[in-house]
Amino acid sequence: MFSVFRDLLRYNIEFAIGCVFVGVIVIFAGLSFFSPFDPTQVYTVIPDRPPDSQHWFGTNSRGQDMFWQLTFAFRNTLGFGLTVAILSRIISIVVGLAAGYLGGWVDRVLMFFNDIFVAIPIFPILILFYFVMRSNLNSFTLALIMACFGWPFDARLIRAVTLGLRHREFTRQAVFAGMSPLKIMFEEHLPYVMPIIFATALANMIWSIGLEVTLAVLGFTNINIPTVGTTLYWANNHSAMVVGVWWWILIPVIIVIILFIGLFLLAVSLNEYIDPRSRLRRMGA
Amino acid sequence: MLKIRTLMASAMVASMGLGGAGLAQDEPAAPPITNFPRNETLIINNPEGPAANPGWFNIWVAGAGGSWSGGLHQLNLDTLWFIDPDAGLDGAVYNELATGPAEYNADFTEMTVKLRQGVLWSDGVEFTAADVKYTVETQAATPGYVWSAPFADAVASVDTPDDYTVHFVLKKPNARFHSLFSVRWNAAWIMPKHIFEAQADPMAFDNNPPVGLGPYTLNSFDPNGAWYIWERRADWDKTAMAEWGMPAPKYVIYRSIPSLDKRLIEMVNGDLDMIHDLSPEGMFNLAKQAPTARGWFPGFPYAHPDPTLPMVIFNTQNPMFQDKRVRWALALMLDPVEMSMASYRGAATLSAIAMPPTGTHTDDYHAPLQQWMIDYELDTGMSKIHPYDPTVGQRIADTVRPQFGDAVPTDPEAINKSFGYGWWKKDLVAAGELLMAAGFTKQGDQWMKPDGTPFAFTLKTFVEGVINRLGTDIAQQWTQAGVAVTAEADPVIYANDLPMGQYEAATAWSIETWGGNPDLSFFLDSWHSDYVAAPGERQTARNWQRWSDPRLDAIIEQVRQTPFTDHDANVALGNEFVKLMVDEMPIIPVMSFNVFSAYDTRYWTGFPTAEANPYANIVNNWSNAKYILTQLEPVAN
Amino acid sequence: MKTYLLFALKRFIQLVAVVFAGCSVAFVVSHLSPISPVEMVIGRVSGQSSYSPEAIESLRATLTELFGLNVPLHEQYFNFLRRLVVVDFGPALIAFPRPAMQLVMLALPWTLGLLSVAVIFTWVLGNIVGGLAGYYQNSRFLKAFGIVAIGAQPIPYYIVAFLMVIIFGFLWPVLPISDGFSMNVRPGWTFEFIASVLHHSILPAASLTIVGIGTWFLGMRALVSNIVTEDYVTYAELAGVKQDRVVFSYVIRNAVVPQLTALAMALGGIFSGTIITEQVFGYPGLGSLLVRAVNGGDSALVLAVSCISVIAVASAIFIIDLAHPLIDPRVKAE
Repeated sequence: MFSVFRDLLRYNIEFAIGCVFVGVIVIFAGLSFFSPFDPTQVYTVIPDRPPDSQHWFGTNSRGQDMFWQLTFAFRNTLGFGLTVAILSRIISIVVGLAAGYLGGWVDRVLMFFNDIFVAIPIFPILILFYFVMRSNLNSFTLALIMACFGWPFDARLIRAVTLGLRHREFTRQAVFAGMSPLKIMFEEHLPYVMPIIFATALANMIWSIGLEVTLAVLGFTNINIPTVGTTLYWANNHSAMVVGVWWWILIPVIIVIILFIGLFLLAVSLNEYIDPRSRLRRMGA
Repeated sequence: MLKIRTLMASAMVASMGLGGAGLAQDEPAAPPITNFPRNETLIINNPEGPAANPGWFNIWVAGAGGSWSGGLHQLNLDTLWFIDPDAGLDGAVYNELATGPAEYNADFTEMTVKLRQGVLWSDGVEFTAADVKYTVETQAATPGYVWSAPFADAVASVDTPDDYTVHFVLKKPNARFHSLFSVRWNAAWIMPKHIFEAQADPMAFDNNPPVGLGPYTLNSFDPNGAWYIWERRADWDKTAMAEWGMPAPKYVIYRSIPSLDKRLIEMVNGDLDMIHDLSPEGMFNLAKQAPTARGWFPGFPYAHPDPTLPMVIFNTQNPMFQDKRVRWALALMLDPVEMSMASYRGAATLSAIAMPPTGTHTDDYHAPLQQWMIDYELDTGMSKIHPYDPTVGQRIADTVRPQFGDAVPTDPEAINKSFGYGWWKKDLVAAGELLMAAGFTKQGDQWMKPDGTPFAFTLKTFVEGVINRLGTDIAQQWTQAGVAVTAEADPVIYANDLPMGQYEAATAWSIETWGGNPDLSFFLDSWHSDYVAAPGERQTARNWQRWSDPRLDAIIEQVRQTPFTDHDANVALGNEFVKLMVDEMPIIPVMSFNVFSAYDTRYWTGFPTAEANPYANIVNNWSNAKYILTQLEPVAN
Repeated sequence: MKTYLLFALKRFIQLVAVVFAGCSVAFVVSHLSPISPVEMVIGRVSGQSSYSPEAIESLRATLTELFGLNVPLHEQYFNFLRRLVVVDFGPALIAFPRPAMQLVMLALPWTLGLLSVAVIFTWVLGNIVGGLAGYYQNSRFLKAFGIVAIGAQPIPYYIVAFLMVIIFGFLWPVLPISDGFSMNVRPGWTFEFIASVLHHSILPAASLTIVGIGTWFLGMRALVSNIVTEDYVTYAELAGVKQDRVVFSYVIRNAVVPQLTALAMALGGIFSGTIITEQVFGYPGLGSLLVRAVNGGDSALVLAVSCISVIAVASAIFIIDLAHPLIDPRVKAE
């Protein structure tokens, strides 16, 4: 695993850039543990100060230091994206492996449900959940709901890979050796789909964070928890864009773009790694 | 390779297709409203979202989704009296369809009204006493009409001695019956008898286009509910409005623009003459950006103070808030300067008493009570304190002066009127003593209720705007003081949670007054214990705190027997009410609801101003704002 | 032909299943709401006036029956399904007693019109440019386009839309930023009205294109760069087949199929985006209606919009699926 990582870093510039971008954001989010401010408090500093040496990212109209505020926002947002990614990976691995390896009616039934989930527009459903749960809809519940909708694409991919593995020699040997299907799936096949799981997890994070931002901008999340989305919600609530407090919006947007490009590049380069053809092309060319 | 160039070029052309086609045909900048020349058209912002049921103009049936303040109740309808929250063109009380004040008999069981003659409905039919009689009887007889219950409760019979006189016999003595017909934002509008009589089912009748008594009729409206265009009647002089002059704009357009930012943009672009409300930052910025635009005050705090009192409402049926020492303790945990800054950026007018600090109220209540407040003594169980701080307004003025400079008043009286006469001191020690006296204990930083569970609750607040900010800030202050409070943005706070009692505490209001008159019946009558619902039942407006007290009932019953015109008696009763509220603290009064209404003088002049000519409320979803139209003049280009 | 019909039938069953499942989820979730629609309507109808308890009680009984809430939940569910067949969602609460479906039908054309134009345009343009970029990997212009597409893609859609309002409505006010058409035209099949609708849709549609085009561009570029290494492409080039014929008939045509699948799968997400579009540009449509319903506490309307969204998206996917074998003969009824 480590050698793969090293190779990727060395030969794949996209992967290297992606690592740097995501790494910077993770460190930035980690700084929140050293923050001198409580992120839920308002009017702790002079409001509406543009970025300067004292407040690197300026202060917002709620009297919060944007640098430290954003460290919390990105910690929560990353945590949220990661939670959705992990939970939805669990579902997609189980469904994908089972459908791909067991085949037959299991496959048909699972894929039937899979396609249903693909077709359901999640946003109205999420709004419906907010409509019903209101302030009880905390980050984890939201992550759980989104995980329930965020797996079908990837389950299909995993199924496709497993389908190929089923006919490989080592699978047959394992079956003859009397390994249980469960064991084969999780010990023999899982390592092969791991790269896909990572690549899709990254894409999934982009998706879930994007949705969280959208919901929050409309005010349809718990506005007391600092996230990228609620940061924009409050900025909007204080007319930041038309009033000229541009740093309140521009800085989080830039950091989000860095994060998203980083995640995107990692996902792309992992995909390339998975598909050996394009890897050969890169080396050859 | 050449082929590829052409291909790419065609792709580029295709990409421009959508945008380019549109751009090419529209030379003039910004959306033109060419058929409505700007020197004849006034464009007003309607704060409601686009109407859910745009073609519905039957305002007497509630909840049907029509637009109320999209011009219908301002321009098309009329009723007997208007009461202005400000000075008024000729005093705060306007005789609209009535020719003078209501005449009551000695024990307030009968009321007689003389009606204006020669007023025509917009279809040419003459307005008579029969219309008023029809309005009252129809609504009283049919639940589902907006004013059904109040008429059914109060009116025994209506008769019309002649075409221009209406005589009401009331079920019980009520010196405030006429207030049902007195517009403060809105009131019971007179129905066109000849139109509604002809309907098989008046409740299902959409009244489109509306036939009204106002000086404007409907020109057209957006099928998506975003705008309504009204046109001045050719016979506008056959309406009550004629007494105050011709409304100048030939067309008035009401536009729904839910986004506060876009209101500002539209005004700067010249596509909007009056804005209903902005964020405080938006207002400060507009004043800088558009030299022709301004708010109610020429400088800080800009906003028009509505006679409405944002406050913390406790659900007093919840065991947590039944002890007044607990309510007082929560009040003493709040820092008034912080509340003003967090909600209004300092542009708030605080009030420590249960009375909006607006209109004539400061002269009737706040100023005279100032010494009493300073001397007010509170027994915490361990010590006696003077909780009132008369310097709060001064402190807020000093806080905002570095940012706004000369725009901030310096005269003490002006500061009192702009920022408030004072508020309670933040006193965590006294608050702690009160809680301990009520059986609470402190574990670490967290207060515990007498039953040993943490003192924690949810504070429901608006989803946006200054009230949202106020709620968020109050929750934070309480949390810092050891009470775990979460603020929740609640879109159905008035629609469901306050009336159904599905809340613990909320930032909203249960006190609204006339503004221009010391009488409190407008909200106070509904606070009588007769109307307090049992837990779980629906509470009728406006006693959302569901609080009752025999002393309160006594005041209300006395108001009901005091003539509306008896200024001194009403002020005395009001003072009694205020003192009772200070003792009991069933709600924590915070401030007046200051609305950042703005107008642009690029196309029209003659709007009211706070300093020189406060003749009407510029908060234009109030029906009362219609008198502004008579004072406007187009700007000659 | 027979295999195609069988395929279509299978897809249709899937469509029905999706609609059934989606609407059921929406029903269950909306019935978990602590807010009673009956009390919401009573609140609206009684307004600020003091009703007698008896009047409220009789109103409550009437409304409970009208909303069909007087029967157990499972029966309500079956009634809901029965009415779903005739697309009846009962009265909306914010425009009581107007049927929720009427409000949805007023809004639907706006969303469908904006979305279909923007999505088709974005998809076609993205794929053409992406395909060219995959084939001509050395073109500087196409490389630059790729970088811009990657850079624009991750910006939260709300920001893109709002920036366009600021730029084209405020800093350089040349385009309308509110409503579906201007106030001096009246709906109808007139040139003025259609021109006004197009004019007002420029910004919303352009914002959807800006955030959407990257996906198609990048997907197509990757697909094509794989396909160009295939033997048959090399062979065709060596055999002297004209270059643009190679690009369009050999390369892009083969790559378009997975892109079509991807479009079907992305529709749900694109639909989500229009809620923000309509919100930011004050554009009429289902998204505006949904937000209004949520803020008005109108559970009936929220349910109606959710179900219609599920039906609309599922139907669009169904149509794309049906077109699939026609474009790609390799796809048979699997």
